[in-house]
Amino acid sequence: MSETAAEHGLTPPAARRPAWLRRLAPPLLTLLGAAILAKMAADVGFSPAHLIGGTGRLGRLVGSMIPPSSGGQFLHILHALGETLAMAFVGTVLAALIALPLGILGAKTVVTQPALHFALRRVLDLFRGVPALVWALILVSAFGLGPFAGVCALALADIPNLAKLYAEAIENADRKPVDGLRATGAAPLGVIRFGLLPQVAPVMASQCLYYLESNFRHAAVLGIVGAGGIGFELEERIRVFAFDVAAFIILLYMLAVAILDTVSRALRQRLA
Amino acid sequence: MSLVAPAHPDVVESFEIERRRLLARHRLQTSLGLVVFSLVLAVSLKRSGFLDANIGGDPLARIGVFFGRMAPKLRADELLADRRTVGSLAAWFYDLPLWLKAAWQTFEMAAVATVVGAAGAVGASFLCARNLMPWSPVRFAVRRGLEAIRTLPDMILALILVAAFGVGPFAGVLALSIATVGGLGKLFAEINEQIDPRPLEAIEASGASRLRQIRYGVLPQVLPAYASYALIRLEGNLAAAAALGIVGAGGIGLELQRAITYTEFDTYLAILLLMVCMIFVIDIVSEQIRHRLIGLGAPR
Repeated sequence: MSETAAEHGLTPPAARRPAWLRRLAPPLLTLLGAAILAKMAADVGFSPAHLIGGTGRLGRLVGSMIPPSSGGQFLHILHALGETLAMAFVGTVLAALIALPLGILGAKTVVTQPALHFALRRVLDLFRGVPALVWALILVSAFGLGPFAGVCALALADIPNLAKLYAEAIENADRKPVDGLRATGAAPLGVIRFGLLPQVAPVMASQCLYYLESNFRHAAVLGIVGAGGIGFELEERIRVFAFDVAAFIILLYMLAVAILDTVSRALRQRLA
Repeated sequence: MSLVAPAHPDVVESFEIERRRLLARHRLQTSLGLVVFSLVLAVSLKRSGFLDANIGGDPLARIGVFFGRMAPKLRADELLADRRTVGSLAAWFYDLPLWLKAAWQTFEMAAVATVVGAAGAVGASFLCARNLMPWSPVRFAVRRGLEAIRTLPDMILALILVAAFGVGPFAGVLALSIATVGGLGKLFAEINEQIDPRPLEAIEASGASRLRQIRYGVLPQVLPAYASYALIRLEGNLAAAAALGIVGAGGIGLELQRAITYTEFDTYLAILLLMVCMIFVIDIVSEQIRHRLIGLGAPR
């Protein structure tokens, strides 16, 4: 590890600094950090007074959540939950279908043209941080209310991430089967089908399951901007202060998340 | 070390039978999996109304129109003109100073939430690490609490907190902080459980108090890993904070919402690009710092 530190050029300058600076720097830096943090906290209104002021209201709000009640709409809520799960599933499948070719093209070992590989990876990197909700907001505005926009938003948010993971999985695959196939004169598609896919398919499937879990969480909030599913029901209830029904929806949803996570974990363990 | 003896025909035959049996089982499993997958997909397609969604006409044409509306109206000859000229870059990014301020607020939200959340996570992680908290009911309760937080999406938390604390960045910061405690608490506890017990035992043997044992026996071992995870979380929180603005928690998300309210799709694209660049820059900076931390930090 000392080699790494030396590579980064860290050890020599630190050793060159005078003793008083080395002694004073940590407390000064801590103080500076604390000052910046305090300024930021003030900017976002993070103050004890604000916290205490709202806590009473939060307490009353949580109080009105007890006991949770389905409000006689259990089937309706269940239906919305099913819609959210369906959105997450279709979104994941759509994302995987589009990310697969992108991932293959983004792998250094498949596309050996460095400029092309670099450009694709940078574009993917750029859009990796955009959350599904941000896509959903504009897609709902463009395609109208409903789950269609939600599914597209989930897929758009996942594609860059999945493509990157796929590209890495392909790069990490063993080269020998590929070389062997190539030596037999197999066509490029055949090389990918029999040399690469058997190695990377379990990894990819397991990542898909992981993204399915994550999409189920994200899909739940897409309803807030009108993209259908359980989030829509939840936001509606919170807006009319029906917090007992909101609590019911949240609990049911948390249960569904736990079930999906368990199923997905079991499947992923089988794949591994 | 003799050569392999020619196999007995029976052995070959039984091997072939076994192989065929395994292959058949494998094929059955694969086809069963495919059937289940197609069934779930079919039900999901039906349920989500993805295929028969009415998005106002031919889907491909609609997508074309959508991208057309999102594309900025730039003109090559006016590109560098002032913001009153139609077709200039300045006209596309017409409210840039305001957006930069909003982006900075989003960053502040993410930074404060990460620090507050990480502080809470450190406390929680000491309460649920097997080697540091001898009392198992506390460990159990804290672990289940962290799990419950992780199940709840930060956006739903934000919805409730906005209802309690009013519209503004504070509710968003609080929601992100709580979510960060849940996420980092688990990771920190795992780091705590992997520490070398020997320095801790040595300090304990010297008769130091519990707090000093943690200060000198545990913290030096775990801090680099803590900081590294907190930075990764900061990247995630930045994206989450941007999205939180959409539910009324201030920052750049609020500007996105505003652009949609006025159906200015090209403005939306401008703000989106700004946001993407901000996240990209923070990712790079954070990665640099993390690499340094690992280089300097605990020997692995």
